[in-house]
Amino acid sequence: MLETRNLDKSFGAVHVTRDVSLKLERGERRVILGPNGAGKTTLFNQLVGELTPDSGSVHLAGADVTALPVAKRARRGLSRSYQKNTLFDGLTVEENLGLAAAVHTGSATQLWSDSLAKPEVREIVEEVAEQVNLTDFLQARVSEVSYGVRRQLEVGVALATRPHVLLMDEPTSGVGPEMAKGFHDLLNNLPRDLTLLIIEHDMDLAFDVADTITVLNYGEVVFDGLPEAARGSSLLKEIYLGSWEDA
Amino acid sequence: MFRHNALRCTVLLLLAAAALFQALTAGYFGLEILTEILILAILVLALDIAAGFGGMVSLCHGALMGVGAYAYAILSAKAGLSPPVAMAAALALTGGCAWVIGAICARSHGIYFIMATLAFGQMAYSYVFEAPVFGGDDGLGGIARLDLSLIGVDLNDSRSFALFCLAVLGAVYGASVLILRSGLGRSLAGVMHNEQRMRALGLTVWRVKADVFGLSGMIAGLAGVLAAQHVMYISPGLLSWTVSGEALVVVILGGLGTLVGPLVGAAAFVLLKHELSALTPHWHLVVGVILIAVVMSRANGIFGWIEACWGGRAERRAAKAVRKQKTKEVLSDA
Amino acid sequence: MAHDLGFWTLQALNALQLSMLLFLLSIGLTVIFGLMHFVNLAHGSLYALGAYFAASLAAIGGYWMGFFLAPVAVAGVGILLYSGLIRRMRKSGPMAQVLVTFGLIFVMLDLTRIFWGDLALAIDVPTLFAGRVELLGIEYPAYRLFIIGLGLAIFAALAFVLGRTQIGAMIRAGVDNDAMASCLGINVERLFFIVFCVGCALAGLAGVVAAPLLSVTPDMGLQILIPTLIVIVIGGLGSLKGAIAGSLIYGFVQTFGAVLAPQLASVLIYALLAAVLVIKPVGLFPAKG
Repeated sequence: MLETRNLDKSFGAVHVTRDVSLKLERGERRVILGPNGAGKTTLFNQLVGELTPDSGSVHLAGADVTALPVAKRARRGLSRSYQKNTLFDGLTVEENLGLAAAVHTGSATQLWSDSLAKPEVREIVEEVAEQVNLTDFLQARVSEVSYGVRRQLEVGVALATRPHVLLMDEPTSGVGPEMAKGFHDLLNNLPRDLTLLIIEHDMDLAFDVADTITVLNYGEVVFDGLPEAARGSSLLKEIYLGSWEDA
Repeated sequence: MFRHNALRCTVLLLLAAAALFQALTAGYFGLEILTEILILAILVLALDIAAGFGGMVSLCHGALMGVGAYAYAILSAKAGLSPPVAMAAALALTGGCAWVIGAICARSHGIYFIMATLAFGQMAYSYVFEAPVFGGDDGLGGIARLDLSLIGVDLNDSRSFALFCLAVLGAVYGASVLILRSGLGRSLAGVMHNEQRMRALGLTVWRVKADVFGLSGMIAGLAGVLAAQHVMYISPGLLSWTVSGEALVVVILGGLGTLVGPLVGAAAFVLLKHELSALTPHWHLVVGVILIAVVMSRANGIFGWIEACWGGRAERRAAKAVRKQKTKEVLSDA
Repeated sequence: MAHDLGFWTLQALNALQLSMLLFLLSIGLTVIFGLMHFVNLAHGSLYALGAYFAASLAAIGGYWMGFFLAPVAVAGVGILLYSGLIRRMRKSGPMAQVLVTFGLIFVMLDLTRIFWGDLALAIDVPTLFAGRVELLGIEYPAYRLFIIGLGLAIFAALAFVLGRTQIGAMIRAGVDNDAMASCLGINVERLFFIVFCVGCALAGLAGVVAAPLLSVTPDMGLQILIPTLIVIVIGGLGSLKGAIAGSLIYGFVQTFGAVLAPQLASVLIYALLAAVLVIKPVGLFPAKG
């Protein structure tokens, strides 16, 4: 469903992505692990097109999308959430979800109708609001709600484009254990045919939702396999847990 | 996204009533000033849509207005098209020009956007100034007003023309609200708040910007067509960047992103200009000082200031209501 | 229309002279922008002010008195502007700055009208440069050569100061990252002040040297503003290289455009600007990548 071939990217002397080749099957749920600075977010940026790789290619549903801009990839069913909340702060939660749903349903550029009043948009907004537990906050402005609520909305906005492939950049970053548990349930309740690629630091969550695990270190894939194998791998402990404990 | 609140509706009704009263009772000079206000109001509505709701601070809206005016003048006076056809063609042309400018400038932000629009505006200005067909510095005269004798209105009468401009302004205001509340308007708000995320959601951002800039330019062109019909004479000065600058001043003085505010600003600006220029030839000095004072005060213009005061009161009232409610709950719990 | 070599030499010198005048104006504006992120639309008004001061001073003590004192006087006005307005507007967005300085244009325009009247003033070319000079087979006004020389000298001096001295390194650090520069112990606030004053003085100097060529009128600042802005936007904001490149591009396109395609000359430069913005939205040599 989503594939990279020999992806490579440097910023000056810093080699941030080294020859990364990944392959996600439809419905696969993969977690990317790796210490800070391993190039996880940079990889995401290249997958969605916010960064252009120096070499290599990105394939979405069998088609080479390396040359496509961000918006065109998104319209082919690729969606992402950000590690730092990237929301429409002055607008309400409902409007945030509505903007995403409107782009998906094609009413985002219509001049003759209000996108948020359209039944197909309303349906998505209500459904996603339920999925991410935001039904009570729909009328609140983003600037007025708590960090945890924004974190949920961050994922909600990504979901409201009804993606085939969803990239989530540390969805539980900065939230308490209780809310992390909520994300856990959310992930388990997502449709099984949605392909998921998640950057996650919470190990319990990672091993629980992952079908497969990829470990990045210094921009390089150092492990790619089943969670059971990752758990036992000394390499992973050394690279990831080692530096994790150091930090 | 644009919302009406009680304050905006009240001010809007007051403005409409005042304009209507003026249009029905004023003498020749009063009508001229009123018409000037109404035409400027249309231009600043156009600018507020682009700058206030889309973050596209344009310094070429004066030039777009000029393009509308010249297109109408050439098409009606020289090419011999009937005024309604010439008017429609002028609007289409201005909208098209603005769409292209919007599409080209969509990648630029902040000061670069301002400069890029300034460049396009100056390009139009120089072209009109140089090309012989536009009459150069002398301008063009003998421009006909729209013929509405079919419905028994003679627009050559200044009272009728003022009422006609008022009706057009009303229609433009309604259209602006509809644009801002449409799917396109909502996406525009999304782009202004967070362009990166809109793109990540799959929106072709430059198209939204170009479409809105095109619509905004078309409205500016309409202001130009009316201006040409009003004075029945046009000169390249209409396209000068200072006209765009003044329009921006009016939008800011009135209150950016409020639609109603720029209307107040337009009235205030024209009246101030006439009052001051009667008193002193240096009215620009006074306008400049007021402008600096308003921007430095960090209020969002006159109307923004009123809204902030109003909002403060409404908030206090809401807080009071909440307190009362809570007291009641506590009492009933006991 | 067979033009000989001399004709083209003449045009090239004219282009160079226009370029140098624009360079004097744009370098201050662009470094002020690069360092302080401040858009000063009133920069052209300072240029006009320089010309007026020069006209008044020349009437008292001749051209050279104006030449040396008018830039200082303009820098003095710059100090007033800086402490009164600009320091407070630094953190505002570009739109607020554009508007405040647009207001300043109005104010300064009318102030010059009040003090010096609406009529154009003229000042004489200094006797030292009054004649013509034989150069590359043509006769060329010595005063225009003086402007070219002055522009090149200022360019060389600025290149030296920015590239080789400590204050230059501070300015470059400030343009690159002002927060980081202040962390390194650079007094950014004082740096801003110095750069702003020097920028104003250079604008005043441009006004002084332009005064004998053009007539001194209240709106001369408005007329030069747009070319100056085009120069810095084509060149890229904040860099010396951008200012000189932009000035040369503007000077040559404008001058040769007027000769080769008179109908298109004025449109040409705007079309060029639009093309630059499409291809490189931040100009040719921006100070920051």
